[in-house]
Amino acid sequence: MTEPSPTQALRRSPIYRRHTGLQAQFEQTGKAILVSHYAEPSMEALLAANLGIADLSTLPRTGFKGAGALAWVASQGVKLPDQPNTAVLQTDGTMVAKLSHQELLVVSDLMATGSTVDHLNKQPEASQTYSLPRADSHSWLAITGGAAAEMFSKVCGVDLRTHKFAEGQVAQTSLAKINAVIVRHDLASTPCFYIFSDITSTEFLWDCLLDAMEEYQGVAIGVAALRTLAADR
Amino acid sequence: MKRLPAPFGLLIDRDQPVRFSFENKNLNGFAGDSIASALAANNQWLLSRSFKYHRPRGLLTMAGQDANAMVQLPSNPNALADKELITPNLVVMGQNYSGSLVHDRGALLGLFSRFLPVGFYYKAFFKPRGIWEKWAPLIRKKAGLGVINQQLEPDYYDKQYKFYDVVVVGAGPAGMQAALTAAVDGCEVLLVDENPVLGGSLNYARLDAKGTIAREVRDQLVFEVTANSNITCMVNAVVNAWFADNWLPIISGKRLYKVRAKQTILCTGALEQQAVFHNNDLPGVMMSSAAQRLMHLYGIRPGTAAVIVTGNDDGYANALDLMDADISVRAIVDLREKPKSTGLTKAAKRRGIDIKAGYAVFAAHQRRGHISSVDIRKIISPGICAPQRETVRCDLLCMAVGYTPTYQLACQAGGQLSYDDKSAMFTLNNLPDGLQIAGSVDSYWDLGNCLEEGARAATIATNALGFTEADIPDAMTKESHSPNHSWPIFAHPKGKEFVDFDEDLTIADIVNATRDGYEHIQLVKRYSTCGMGPSQGRHSALAAARLVAAATNRTVAETGVTTARPPFAPEHLGHSAGRSFYPARRSNMHYRHLEAGAQMLQAGTWYRPAYYGAVADRDSCINAEVTNVRNNVGLVDVSTLGGLEIRGPDAGEFLNRIYTFGFVKQSVGRARYALLTNEAGVIIDDGVACRFSDQHYYVTATTGGVDRVYQNMLKWNAQWRLDVDIANVSSAYCGVNIAGPKARQVLAKVCSDIDLAAEAFPYMGVRQGSVAGIAARLIRVGFVGELGYEVHVPQQFGEALWDALMAAGQEVNMQPFGIEAQRILRLEKGHIIINQDTDAMSNPMEVQMGWAVSQKKPFFVGGRTIAELEMKAPMRSLVGFVVTDSKAPIPMESHLVLDGEQMTGRVTSCNYSPSLGKPIGLAYVHPEVAKAGSQITIRSTGGMLVQANVVSLPFYDPQTARQEL
Repeated sequence: MTEPSPTQALRRSPIYRRHTGLQAQFEQTGKAILVSHYAEPSMEALLAANLGIADLSTLPRTGFKGAGALAWVASQGVKLPDQPNTAVLQTDGTMVAKLSHQELLVVSDLMATGSTVDHLNKQPEASQTYSLPRADSHSWLAITGGAAAEMFSKVCGVDLRTHKFAEGQVAQTSLAKINAVIVRHDLASTPCFYIFSDITSTEFLWDCLLDAMEEYQGVAIGVAALRTLAADR
Repeated sequence: MKRLPAPFGLLIDRDQPVRFSFENKNLNGFAGDSIASALAANNQWLLSRSFKYHRPRGLLTMAGQDANAMVQLPSNPNALADKELITPNLVVMGQNYSGSLVHDRGALLGLFSRFLPVGFYYKAFFKPRGIWEKWAPLIRKKAGLGVINQQLEPDYYDKQYKFYDVVVVGAGPAGMQAALTAAVDGCEVLLVDENPVLGGSLNYARLDAKGTIAREVRDQLVFEVTANSNITCMVNAVVNAWFADNWLPIISGKRLYKVRAKQTILCTGALEQQAVFHNNDLPGVMMSSAAQRLMHLYGIRPGTAAVIVTGNDDGYANALDLMDADISVRAIVDLREKPKSTGLTKAAKRRGIDIKAGYAVFAAHQRRGHISSVDIRKIISPGICAPQRETVRCDLLCMAVGYTPTYQLACQAGGQLSYDDKSAMFTLNNLPDGLQIAGSVDSYWDLGNCLEEGARAATIATNALGFTEADIPDAMTKESHSPNHSWPIFAHPKGKEFVDFDEDLTIADIVNATRDGYEHIQLVKRYSTCGMGPSQGRHSALAAARLVAAATNRTVAETGVTTARPPFAPEHLGHSAGRSFYPARRSNMHYRHLEAGAQMLQAGTWYRPAYYGAVADRDSCINAEVTNVRNNVGLVDVSTLGGLEIRGPDAGEFLNRIYTFGFVKQSVGRARYALLTNEAGVIIDDGVACRFSDQHYYVTATTGGVDRVYQNMLKWNAQWRLDVDIANVSSAYCGVNIAGPKARQVLAKVCSDIDLAAEAFPYMGVRQGSVAGIAARLIRVGFVGELGYEVHVPQQFGEALWDALMAAGQEVNMQPFGIEAQRILRLEKGHIIINQDTDAMSNPMEVQMGWAVSQKKPFFVGGRTIAELEMKAPMRSLVGFVVTDSKAPIPMESHLVLDGEQMTGRVTSCNYSPSLGKPIGLAYVHPEVAKAGSQITIRSTGGMLVQANVVSLPFYDPQTARQEL
């Protein structure tokens, strides 16, 4: 089987050239072409436990807002967070973040096996419920590792230290001067933060974050390292 | 010089010699030495030349608090020699001299000092008119300190946020105790100190006759602090300001920390002050604490024969230290008539030091630029000495006459500085919530009191944060003895008693400023420049306030001090500029443009292709792109356009109220031009509104305007409460415009589920379908005036769309075109660009767009103003013009339209039109010449007057047949 190319799919990460520049190995997960790894996978998982950055922008996600949005999504069998700016996991691994009393962000699991995103996208819109094209409006990056919060403090004014920013907490803030939604979603015992931000600024943000990470020996990592960390219980 | 044995020399590593140079002379020091200490170790006491009179200056504070210690480094001027460490092969030079540091020709200026009185600049260059312009270049050449190395590659500076429950500023005894108390109570504490090690004054001050207490307390506190995991220590770090809500910028190395503290405790200590007497600025005259720092921190003897002028017991403690370092103490000159007998004074007496109580140092004398003796005299009344003098030979004079609290941060926080006449000291009060002070900054001098007060401040903080609910103990009683002498100022017939070392200001300068009518301390500061030098009044504020008070018959409390603004210490520009973020946006097709040879330009945060080809061929490339669109087909990236989803039952009504046109009756499947005005009827944006269903419009907006449009929409609907949802989806869609006579032919190759025939999909029609297998929104628009389709697809499919369309167009030689060609194409069609052809005053009638304003709607934003404007005669009109003289320079944007000498308008757009073969443009003109056929005069490049004919719009394809093919 030949290795997938980042350009073989119609949906392409805005920074796939950055990955090829780092000699990334790609994989197909569902319909998405993702970076599997850059370095030897087990080594990369070790590096990720310290500080890593992964591009998950081609994985499925969606969003809904409107006065009826929360009730409608809940009526589809989706468990919602109680409070705004928190997130919960569904049984299929899908994560649902409540961004306000009228807005939800729904993101896939790392294997893209969950059906929630697809199911919600296929339903006809209900009254006062409006879908949002989050798969294309926002890039999706993941920052992993024990040094993540320290690195974030160079680019973000919110205290993301793990004892201050609990798992499942959401921060809607500014990251390197662009708007971002940050969700803490640990991979087993490894801190992990998802970043959703303006997709047209992805290259800028990726470069900024890698620059900030250099001090802590942070590296780009593939989804394989994320899965290894998630399974490391 | 042989260094003093340990425990002297706390900061140096004697096993690590470091070689460096000063004034091209190779010298040796140790790792941990500051430049100043290493120079002192080499008997180099002359550090710099003063700013105005080029007087020789030596080290004064050894604490980085004065301008005497400024030296030139290769990387930067004005480095503080008493803070900057030596490094291997560091090249250090003096600065602000002509000739050499030792033989400075600039010192001749001192001979003319009586002709350079306070306010000299104001007085000397005021008349005759224009004289300042003559003098300014000469004065500017003399002004300023040091030289900037413009060839230097900038270092990497950056910033970082930090968050703490409690930040304690100053790691002296009060600070360490405060940090410990707060940390033990569970707070996350940051303890910051500008010095390399914790301890503050405990590292160099002597608190008892035996000289052991300071070290014992320091060792215990440092041990406890470093062992406490709740405390983060940051040394070599300066809290450079206090901003609202305890926002503290902390500079450490090349990083600016932006620290959020819930509670701040200032234990910033106190700054020792100089005595004011004749020649008090000679090298060898230094603060008592500076001499102690030299000995205890660097193991250096500050002299061989010392005199101490004091107004407190600290001078005696220093004398004991000097004697321990085998330095001959020739006399203690005590300003006090009857100093209290204490352990320290008794010990000094026991060791045989000559104590001259009730005496002052009236003058210092120099030999080879260094102090050689002092003239001491009996004080007969405050500031007045008896004529009889006694000369004492010495090469070191230590001054211990008092302190000011390090009040800068507290004052920035709103604290008020008062003067207590009894203690002759500034005191701080009226501190805001969330800010405590403790230790000598709060006028506590006894070690036990400082520790108690540190703990008390911490308890107030921990109670406020909810960590404790402890009873707050009463504040300790202030000590009855003050370390400050009330008048350590002695005027001399020959002057040169310096109040402000930075600016060479003497007693007479300050007094004369008040006599010139500048009695307020703030005016004295500005008139005399007292306190405006690098040390920002740290050592001049107290003496200046006392002098102004005396000269104006007020108390010091009434006189006050000047404002202490940030920053506290000098900071590199890199600290502010370093690691700034400049967001950049790229469409998903960005790299395809680069691969096609595009020259990119930045429009706001977006990168956009300007044109494709070499810079040298710019014009021909652009013209070819225009011609290709007119005659064939081109593809342009329009991803930067704004996109707004307006959905819900009231979507039509909402757009009706927002935009000038009518939208309620707009058919599904149709697009309509949408012009946006503000309440003043001024055009602020435009786009097209595409109706995809009864309750769904997709509205485009300009690249730079969409965020403002979105905010406006949210603002208005917060008032209107219509049942509508507004979503900014600009980034979610990537778009192209495929335009030209062969656009349909190319598009048809990759779009099979939409009938592209003119009748089925007419001009201003909108459709949803797929292009090259990608879900797409198609809009038939005519911005460039040709058959054209905008194709909008989800952002991450942009590159695939571009590839598919370019491949489909290969057969007909479709070419990409950039925004420069697009600008010309739209100009040929007379289409305006918002904010280029409009300004902050433009209304729809002025720009000939009255057609885009509905007369049938009851309301839209700006409607009432537009209705009123319509009833008035227009002030100007935007018209098209053609330059007929082929040899005339092509006018440019903002060139003026003239009527004789009168300015009547300006050009907003102008370009050579490849399609028409002549320059065309848009300009605001007087309504009288707005009719086609009128002539206008434009002042073009170089002031040349160019004649142009006003013509009807559009310039090209007046029947607009081409876009409706």
